[in-house]
Amino acid sequence: MAGEQSMHGEVPLSALQASIRHYVRYALGKEWQHLSGAELFRAVALAVRDRLVDRMLATEARYRQAHAKRLYYLSIEFLMGRSLSNNLYNLGLFDLCQEALRTLGVDLAMVEESERDAALGNGGLGRLAACFLDSLATLDMPGYGYGIHYEYGLFQQEISNGYQQERPDHWLAAGTTREIERIDEACLIPVYGRNEHALDRDGQYKPMWLDWKILIGVPYDMPIVGYGGRTVNYLRLYSARSSAEFDMQIFNAGDYIKAVEQKIASETITKVLYPSDTVEAGQELRLIQEYFLVACAIRDIVKRYLQTHTTFDAFSSQVAIQLNDTHPAVTVAELMRVLIDENDLPWERAWEITQATLGYTNHTLMPEAQERWSIALFEHVLPRHLQIIGEINRRFLDYVTLVWPGEHERLQRMAILTESEPKQVRMGHLAIVGSHAVNGVSALHTELVKTALVPDFFQLWPERFNNKTNGITQRRWLLQANPLLAQCLTNTIGDAWITDLDALQALEPAAQDAGLQQEFRRIKRANKERLAKVIRELTRVTVDPDALFDVQVKRIHEYKRQLLNVLHIIHEYLCLIEEHQAPTVPRTYIFAGKAAPGYWAAKQIIKLINNVGRVINTDARVHGQLRVVFLPDYRVSLAEKIIPAADLSEQISTAGTEASGTSNMKFALNGALTIGTLDGANIEIREAVGAENIFIFGLQAQEIHTLHAQGIYQPREHYVRHPALQRVLDALYADRFCPHEPGLFRWIYHTL
Amino acid sequence: MDLMCEHIGEVTVVVLAGAQLDASTAAEFKSDIAPVLEAHAQVVFDLSQLAFVDSSGLGALLSCLRHVHAKGGDLKLCRILPPVRALFELVRLHRLFHIFDTPEAAIRAFQP
Repeated sequence: MAGEQSMHGEVPLSALQASIRHYVRYALGKEWQHLSGAELFRAVALAVRDRLVDRMLATEARYRQAHAKRLYYLSIEFLMGRSLSNNLYNLGLFDLCQEALRTLGVDLAMVEESERDAALGNGGLGRLAACFLDSLATLDMPGYGYGIHYEYGLFQQEISNGYQQERPDHWLAAGTTREIERIDEACLIPVYGRNEHALDRDGQYKPMWLDWKILIGVPYDMPIVGYGGRTVNYLRLYSARSSAEFDMQIFNAGDYIKAVEQKIASETITKVLYPSDTVEAGQELRLIQEYFLVACAIRDIVKRYLQTHTTFDAFSSQVAIQLNDTHPAVTVAELMRVLIDENDLPWERAWEITQATLGYTNHTLMPEAQERWSIALFEHVLPRHLQIIGEINRRFLDYVTLVWPGEHERLQRMAILTESEPKQVRMGHLAIVGSHAVNGVSALHTELVKTALVPDFFQLWPERFNNKTNGITQRRWLLQANPLLAQCLTNTIGDAWITDLDALQALEPAAQDAGLQQEFRRIKRANKERLAKVIRELTRVTVDPDALFDVQVKRIHEYKRQLLNVLHIIHEYLCLIEEHQAPTVPRTYIFAGKAAPGYWAAKQIIKLINNVGRVINTDARVHGQLRVVFLPDYRVSLAEKIIPAADLSEQISTAGTEASGTSNMKFALNGALTIGTLDGANIEIREAVGAENIFIFGLQAQEIHTLHAQGIYQPREHYVRHPALQRVLDALYADRFCPHEPGLFRWIYHTL
Repeated sequence: MDLMCEHIGEVTVVVLAGAQLDASTAAEFKSDIAPVLEAHAQVVFDLSQLAFVDSSGLGALLSCLRHVHAKGGDLKLCRILPPVRALFELVRLHRLFHIFDTPEAAIRAFQP
């Protein structure tokens, strides 16, 4: 029923209406007049999915005919957000669908609001993965995501008395319309067990992996449509199932409950997304999750390749696998295992293929985020893989010794397996050694990867390191999120910017056009009114759309320095009420973001923002000059409402800590001015917009490094020398923002 | 699991007549097959009815192979269903066993 349409609305409106009505009746079993918003959403999404599937099948046929090389993007997180609007825009069906529903008496906006976010990620790393998939499909490239079909996404955040409360996000509770279960493509994944040394029929040493348990990986495909609708790729997410209905031995012994419990334990593997991108070592379930993703993906990729090839000679020219951070780094060992154990390739040939196939993206410099696993745990979960990693490590260190004879300390620094206690597997080193390309995600970050994080590796293989500054898709973050500005841009310079962002440069000559400036202000005002309504609904705080909207939305973390922003707000407040110095223009400070549930300081910062907001918003002396709001449950769909309304974008991480940042780009794309440090991609943004259009402050990364290296940072001196700073910290110490919980924020005074 | 034996010349072909060889059936299988392996040195297992094998089942097959090798004989496999074959490859057992598509091919492989 869906094969007839193409871009620009050649689908008859009546056909789309009939399709929606069909699903209302035969998928939901409902009469039209008794539908809830969620049910309407399901019917519309299913009608749209038909059109995606047609094109997905056509895309696959096209790739096969062209013998196209395929890119597989392995990521433990994909922060997809909502899909319906994005699919409609990219299929060119948005206006048609809006009209089809309008004539049926339904508002598309209401239907859109009924869709739950697929929050299968924590923040930037997962959203980057989602943006990449959109771009790959728009560029008509055969690019596929591989991830985990978490039953529970990132927790839902509620704010109670200013504190963050976490609630489970069962995003599949109402069923899902965006994916297709591929039970026929399920695969077997062994885990645990032991190595047994053996000789094969030819007398060659062939260690075997025995006594494993089996998991079953069931794929779910989420169609990803590119702009224009020509190409539909997919994101393949794996769900874990137990290997049999029950463990029959336990079942036969009469212990039914234990048998069921074991089945549930297997299915727990993909139950929940870890709510932080800094995972503590020693979490067996997380290691199994990572391996499960990798093993399912490699099995699928190799199977697809072997459908059209009889040898692995063309593998690396037909397959590229990108590792999004170190979470899928065990791919190095798994691909080696598949090539050697299952396909009998010699080690050297398998290694050539593995290196030529894999690329690795580093996402963080934070020492606590460098992923390491204890060797004991690794051996318990993946004995054969540890054996393979041991051999990779041995050969690698032999090579390092050849290059730098006698440098034992360097060997220790570079080893994949550490010898000192606690003995660990360094996943970052494994990823670097096993890949032909390693990239950072902004110019500064890449430089710091080369010079500070892994300088020995850069010295060894300088050609292997390169920079790929993160990006965002303008389809979601401008065309869909800010339709007024998108239309204004298209009216002014045409629509080439939708697929070629550099085309926005054509706007520059019109920047001084008074009419365009006025139109831009009108659009910004409309977006601020829309956000003001959202703020009122979520927080009961009324904000003035004519105030400057000063926005910091991102995960809550000390290095991102929401605390610095709050200190400045307190300073503004104290200036206003104690010195009667009002800000130049009225300001509304808008925060949103989640703190990892185990991250005490970050949760305290949320509490501080809310308490400062309560004091300022209820102080009559402020006269509406300042407002502070914290919007709960930050997620993609909320970001789509906040970002188009921002006047000022706060990107103030300590220089040298933010790998790239991507919200900085989303704000800039929507016409907000940036205030920030020279960190991450702020540097590239400065180059793009010009230094006169960005507010840069603070020390640079090298200056901070020097300060720490020389041990000359004396925070108390700043406190003594700057009365304004002293007044702010003293206010915190004096419980001015926590009169009912004395001492609550004194840790800040002491820490700073 | 029933074992159906047929003697063709010097070779004994054993059909493993059960759907699964796993932790719940492996011990019984090992016990039942032991006299067959004691009595014969050239053995073929026909696995055409076997739909599921877990690590205990593979361990049982491996112990059969070792037993026969210790006596100077050999054990060959035939007619393995694709899911079971995938497991053999996954843990390298296909490098230890001679595997054939048909019993006839397996029997022929015993001939010098």
